[in-house]
Amino acid sequence: MSDVTVEALHLSKSFGHGPPALDDVSFELSGTGAIGYLGPNGAGKTTTLKLLVGLLRPTRGEVRINGHSPTADRKRALWEIGALVETPEPYPMLTVYDALATVGLARGLRRESVDAEIDRCHRALELPPFGRRVGALSKGQRQRVSLAAALMADPKVLLLDEPTSGLDPAERVLVRRLLVELKRDHLVLMSSHQMFEVGDICDELMFLDRGRLLVRDRVDRIAERVQNREVDVEFSEPVDAARMEPIRQLGATLRPLSDRRWRIAFAGVDGGRPGVLVACQRVAPVVQFANTFLVVEEAYLELIGRST
Amino acid sequence: MTEAVESGAASSAAPRAAVSDLAQFRTVTVSQLTNYLRTYRFLGLLGFVALISVLTIAFELHAGVTATRIAQLNRSSEYLSNFLAYAGLWIVISAAFFGGDALSVDFSTGAGYYMLVLPIKRSVLLAGRYAAATVVTLAIVAMYYLFGLGGAIYFFGGGTIDWTNLGLSLAIAVLFTLSALGVAFCISAVFRSPSSGVLVTILVLYVGLTTLQGVLELANVEPWMSLTYGGGAMAAVLDTDFLHYQTVPLGEDQFYTIWSASVSEGVAIMAAYAAVFLPLSTFLYYRKESTG
Repeated sequence: MSDVTVEALHLSKSFGHGPPALDDVSFELSGTGAIGYLGPNGAGKTTTLKLLVGLLRPTRGEVRINGHSPTADRKRALWEIGALVETPEPYPMLTVYDALATVGLARGLRRESVDAEIDRCHRALELPPFGRRVGALSKGQRQRVSLAAALMADPKVLLLDEPTSGLDPAERVLVRRLLVELKRDHLVLMSSHQMFEVGDICDELMFLDRGRLLVRDRVDRIAERVQNREVDVEFSEPVDAARMEPIRQLGATLRPLSDRRWRIAFAGVDGGRPGVLVACQRVAPVVQFANTFLVVEEAYLELIGRST
Repeated sequence: MTEAVESGAASSAAPRAAVSDLAQFRTVTVSQLTNYLRTYRFLGLLGFVALISVLTIAFELHAGVTATRIAQLNRSSEYLSNFLAYAGLWIVISAAFFGGDALSVDFSTGAGYYMLVLPIKRSVLLAGRYAAATVVTLAIVAMYYLFGLGGAIYFFGGGTIDWTNLGLSLAIAVLFTLSALGVAFCISAVFRSPSSGVLVTILVLYVGLTTLQGVLELANVEPWMSLTYGGGAMAAVLDTDFLHYQTVPLGEDQFYTIWSASVSEGVAIMAAYAAVFLPLSTFLYYRKESTG
């Protein structure tokens, strides 16, 4: 259970004379769970994360982590923070082991615990061979080492800037599952452009555009707000258009995605979803009935579109 | 690649304790030193200095023992003083190589996103890197001293060595290293590009200060504000005919003065440089942001 509180208080950041990269953003994070931090490129997501870990100084406002400023008192402020911001690069001549041991020792692990901790990260992230030099790793391998560094010594809060960027599909799945497990007893704030990923991992969303925080809410409430009316259904057996006719008669529009998968756009508000599910179950056994991807993506498009 | 996260892999049971600044300093130093010792930069510079040392002694051997003794006034201290006159150059180059990008690397590459997000004070990070850069620079300097000592023993015999002044010279080399690295770290805290930091450090410490020294000597002013002038004490301490200054006539009523820093003067200059530039480096490093 995380007992860390991260506060952004009227946070603004300007670079030069242009419009502010971040404009009066305030939020408080505490407890456990995963929060998606979403917005288009240049919205201020990375700037926020940099401010939270003290890589930037706010032009106005302040960051407090358990009451400590990450610029003035970084040792106390960042003690329970594991961060992956931009593209970290450990020293290229260090081995994977050296790079992670440095982080573990700096975070207060005893020498005898470091090996066990690196082994834990290896089991979670399938790290490259420990003796390989960081400079010889692929982009995806380096990203996994950097993610492992964020996890070393098990900090209670994880601030992750596009954590699956540069990873192949299998690595993405691995990291996604890890984050789902981690959020049970950690607080995870992650930015991402992968809407499916965010929908899969996060319980709460914050939408940012042009430096301003537009919305912060739970995923289910955001789903209600955007009134999503599309679901993807997968049957256990092939289902043709004739068998889907009862669903069409409910007023839904159907689009086949494969012989067993259909996309159903139903009439009415979100409350019509249970009726569609019941109707589908009468057609054939339903293996999957999913809409999370669409919720996050549609919410994103609607909110960002509304703000432009 | 497996898709499942192994049970228990997501959370740790490893004990974690408050860690002192000193322990973090040790961690940073070891990490930085490990990285430096494996770089081509270190191995190349070490090899280059060794090559120059070997060539110098080879030329002396080619000239013959007697000719070398005569050229060095039959004194091992004179030989060492002349040989070690180049130690300052190696220190400047090494300081530029290992200090010129020591801090800028955090703001121009992803290294900063790895190290600066850790719960470590920036002053501790700087101190650890400074210590590591000092160790590698001194490793190169120590090797050069060993070559000089070997040459002196070969040409003049072990019994002729003035160990006290040689030790003093080495101590001054350590101080010169600390102050030159202070300047290099300060330049590194100003520049964003690592190569700019390295180049500017060499330009400032070697070209800039040496030129300033020459100009001041032409104006008959002692160049006490130059670090490289103060570093000359490394060789001067072994010079048994040491003169603080010599006037050289240029013509009627015109002359210029060649100055040499005494040990006390050299130590004062170097200590002043270290005292000014190290705190300044720390201040600049604290203020610097990762805007890239």
